[in-house]
Amino acid sequence: MLENAWLIPLFPLLSFLLLIFLGNQWREKSSFVGIGFTGISFVLSVIVLFVQMTNGSGGAEAAWLTIGSIEFRVGVVVNPLNALMLVIVSLVSFLVHIYSKSYMHDDARITTFYSYLGLFTFAMLALVISPNLLQLYIFWELVGVGSFLLIGFYFYKEEAKAAAKKAFIMTRIGDIGLLIGMILLFWQVGSLEFNEIFTAVRDGEVAEGLLTLIAILIFIGAVGKSGQFPLHTWLPDAMEGPTPVSALIHAATMVAAGVYLVATLFPVFESSPAAMTVVAVTGGFTAIFAATIGLVQKDIKRVLAYSTVSQLGYMMMALGAAGYVAGVFHLMTHAFFKALLFLAAGSVIHAVHTQNIEKMGGLWKKMRITGPVFLIGTLAISGVPLFSGFFSKDEILLATWYDGRYGLFTLGLIAAFFTAFYMFRLFFMVFTGDSRSTVTEVQESPRSMTYPMITLAVLAIFSGYINTPWFGTFLGDWLIGDSEFLPFEHHEGPVWIMLAASLIAFAGIGLAYLIYYKKSLQRDFLTSHMPNTYTLVFNKYFIDEFYQYTIEYGARAVSYLGSFIEKYIVEVIVAAVTGVVKSVGSLGSRLQSGQVQTYGAVAFVGLAILVFLVVWTGGYL
Amino acid sequence: MDMDTLLSYEWSIMAPEFTILLVATALSLIDLFVSKNVDRKLFGWFGIAGIAIALIFSFSQIGHEPAMILANTYRLDAFSLSFKILLLTGSLLVLLMGVSFEARGELTYRGEFYYLLLTGLLGAMMMASSADLITLFVGLELLTISSYILAGTRKKSRYSNEAAMKYVINGGISTAFTLFGMSYIYGLTGSTNLADISREISNITPANVQVLLSIAFILTFVGLAFKISTVPFQMWAPDVYQGAPTPVTAFLSVVSKTAGFIIIIRVLISIFPFTQGFEENTSLLHSLMIFLSVLAGMTMIVGNTIALKQRNIKRLFAYSSIAHAGYLLVPFVAFSELMFESMWFYLVAYLLMNIGAFAIIQVMTEHSDSEDVSIFAGLYYRRPWIAIMMTVFLLSLAGIPGTAGFIGKLNIFIGALFSDPSRYILAVVMIGTTVISYFYYFGIMAQMFMRPAGSAAQVRLPVGVTITMVFCAAGTITLGLFPGLVLEFFQTQFNFAEMFY
Repeated sequence: MLENAWLIPLFPLLSFLLLIFLGNQWREKSSFVGIGFTGISFVLSVIVLFVQMTNGSGGAEAAWLTIGSIEFRVGVVVNPLNALMLVIVSLVSFLVHIYSKSYMHDDARITTFYSYLGLFTFAMLALVISPNLLQLYIFWELVGVGSFLLIGFYFYKEEAKAAAKKAFIMTRIGDIGLLIGMILLFWQVGSLEFNEIFTAVRDGEVAEGLLTLIAILIFIGAVGKSGQFPLHTWLPDAMEGPTPVSALIHAATMVAAGVYLVATLFPVFESSPAAMTVVAVTGGFTAIFAATIGLVQKDIKRVLAYSTVSQLGYMMMALGAAGYVAGVFHLMTHAFFKALLFLAAGSVIHAVHTQNIEKMGGLWKKMRITGPVFLIGTLAISGVPLFSGFFSKDEILLATWYDGRYGLFTLGLIAAFFTAFYMFRLFFMVFTGDSRSTVTEVQESPRSMTYPMITLAVLAIFSGYINTPWFGTFLGDWLIGDSEFLPFEHHEGPVWIMLAASLIAFAGIGLAYLIYYKKSLQRDFLTSHMPNTYTLVFNKYFIDEFYQYTIEYGARAVSYLGSFIEKYIVEVIVAAVTGVVKSVGSLGSRLQSGQVQTYGAVAFVGLAILVFLVVWTGGYL
Repeated sequence: MDMDTLLSYEWSIMAPEFTILLVATALSLIDLFVSKNVDRKLFGWFGIAGIAIALIFSFSQIGHEPAMILANTYRLDAFSLSFKILLLTGSLLVLLMGVSFEARGELTYRGEFYYLLLTGLLGAMMMASSADLITLFVGLELLTISSYILAGTRKKSRYSNEAAMKYVINGGISTAFTLFGMSYIYGLTGSTNLADISREISNITPANVQVLLSIAFILTFVGLAFKISTVPFQMWAPDVYQGAPTPVTAFLSVVSKTAGFIIIIRVLISIFPFTQGFEENTSLLHSLMIFLSVLAGMTMIVGNTIALKQRNIKRLFAYSSIAHAGYLLVPFVAFSELMFESMWFYLVAYLLMNIGAFAIIQVMTEHSDSEDVSIFAGLYYRRPWIAIMMTVFLLSLAGIPGTAGFIGKLNIFIGALFSDPSRYILAVVMIGTTVISYFYYFGIMAQMFMRPAGSAAQVRLPVGVTITMVFCAAGTITLGLFPGLVLEFFQTQFNFAEMFY
């Protein structure tokens, strides 16, 4: 069975081809094609997962291209990590396909939408079963194309066009790093097969300095794809795409590909302590950096986007702190609860036709399903005990603690506090209080939208129980299981870490409750910095002032710093590179005057220079 | 030369050339005597049939022992045969395009167009098979002079006339360079026969001769750079490509360029690897590669960056084709054992994707008054199949995985990286400029998929263009997914050691 795992990505590909070539007139019917084919993929993925669990890993490979003495191979490989990814990707994709049926109902280009979804799902599934770096890279790029097409789906909106372009360019920058790293690795090892790379690295065939460089370059690719600092800026902008796309690509699957890449190449990273530190620090910094920005956003999807960046940072931090299981575990739980949050957000947007949370409110009573599932997602991401996010976040904190990275451990705790705070800020502003919406007739979304959300809500609660300190670490044992390259490790953590994490989550929730539910503070407090705010704030609870002076200003400072770095450093570098390219181009085209004399002169001068150089350098040897 | 020696030659090895010669002569005569009312498109189909027969002859010659006729001036070996197949296939596809070319009545002398294309092809084939500087030069001029006239066949178009004029002047300069370089080689060795030259040249030792030989090398290369449009002889290409009729542009950018690479490989590799270089134990070719590598790098940069500024689709493709010539020089500079394989495969891929793209450009420009890239706006919503095929070609030109262009680039890249010495700087330039090229290729794709349809004009697809497009698209994808098909054929059927005497 495992050698036939290539069938799994094939079905979404079929869906893509069918829809793009034949589906022009199918309109809404095309959703059934998409749902059907991804459904088959999902069923097959589950079967593959069970076969893997009972019979162990497997796969199949064949020669594809022989260049000189170098052979490139194609194939599939199924190991615990891949099998898990297959199920996550195909499940979320399947649910998003169902959800989109109603969500995209009115769009004239629904067929195109479904065909793009198929293309993306194909690429993502193929990516996770690649047995070598080249194949992975190919699908890595294809996933980027799918993302580009879907972000720019509303191409008549200038913002969407710009966002698609930005996402494409930013991730390209990362991809160049990945490509160079890959080439260096290939140069050193002579193969791009994962197993051969790992063997070579284990046997010390690659010099340590170079290995660090390679690992960091590959990590740059992951930084681009997973929206880590400083290449994160495309991800919030990518929210211009349709919301189901945000759930599928920019929350659950593609952005997790960077984490997956680091996890897959974990043996390479592990051999280089310096690279591990880079990964951990980048991840930790991104986690807290994005969380602070999330505090002040007004757009429901942007809050979720920054929270995604922050959570991906968490995963990277875990991997960098040698917490392989923790990183992958959080990848899984995050995929479920974040997809849930995005779909629920989509349901809200669908109902009130705005993304501005200041124009929402009081939706709890009107949306009897969306409200509770959103709450479940919020509880899970905040790390409230007994929800999935609690267990995976705890595992990450444990990993950083055991790796001796106490600074990052503290950062992780603070970020957890922020996360709980801004997520509940979001929840209270959207679902509680008085309605500030201009839409009076708010209706719950149809069943094809609520059922996927309910499914994800169940997973957001229970998926954490496969790896708990109480009922056994099934996931961890299985992931490490039969691999010869992954070190077995499990930490029996001190209980206080779990307690501290829970307390911090509750503290964040409590603060949000005081501000946004009890309304002991005016809502526009956070966003206004008028002098009269101070008088309003004065005589309020002490906690408000505490918030004002510490968190609010701190967060503002960090987010200003962030946007400063974004504007003046990252974008200046981008502008410089494009500027140089463009000026070379315009210089060249100015020389292209249409005057035939110029052309002859250029050829002649070129020749003269060459002859001069030959005589000058060669003549007197 | 008496009758007996003439008859004793194994003439059959020239069967493809004779076929083309016969068809070209017959067409030119018929054109003179047949009434003006007869549709000259028939000529096109006649020419296509001729090329097809020549192709069959060529395929039947695969596996033939290396042979020389006409006093060792004409040679059949794996090199000539494998590249001749490319030339023939390219011309066949261009003729198929040409049959459908309407040009709104501007193409008044249609017959000329077909037989000049065939004589050009004949010249290119002679270049592939020549083993003597004289025959090489005759072949080169036959191709070039035919191309001059072809560029000006839209007699009433100002651009076409301008293109032809510029082409003639630049071509004249380049020919002077080439001949000057060849005269040095002749002067130093006393022979025009490549086999003799390669034997003689290894006996020349004085150091000052090396300088003369180096100058000969540079002169010859720069002169021939005109044919492949690389720095410093690339500037004619945009003006000529823009002005010439689209099928001629396709011919120039593919067939003529392939011929240019053939003559460069043939001349430089026959002569310079056997000469003592500037350092101990290196050949002169090796010592001079640094110059070529700089030129290759500059070509990639110039082609790809200036293409960013272009709005005219044909000019854009002119710069793109300059860039591709730069990529094609990389394996030559790396000079590894993969050289022939990489260059040949890349030329195959380039042939398919470039002719395919030009076929679509021809259709699109014929149905609108402009050649601006905006004519592609919203094409996907008007004619999805054309848009999808154009996407295939653009992806392949950009070197995206899954297409022939990617395999070609990968081949070149690996050859450059693993050659001795490693040409990693050139490899880096290649990657960098490839990334730049995404912007202009994807710009066209953005037009097709992400812009509202500009004109509602119905796009009609004549049969010739359709065949070309479908064949090229199918080939581009097949070679991208199963490169082994062609590469294995190449590795087993052609033995390039035959090239050396």
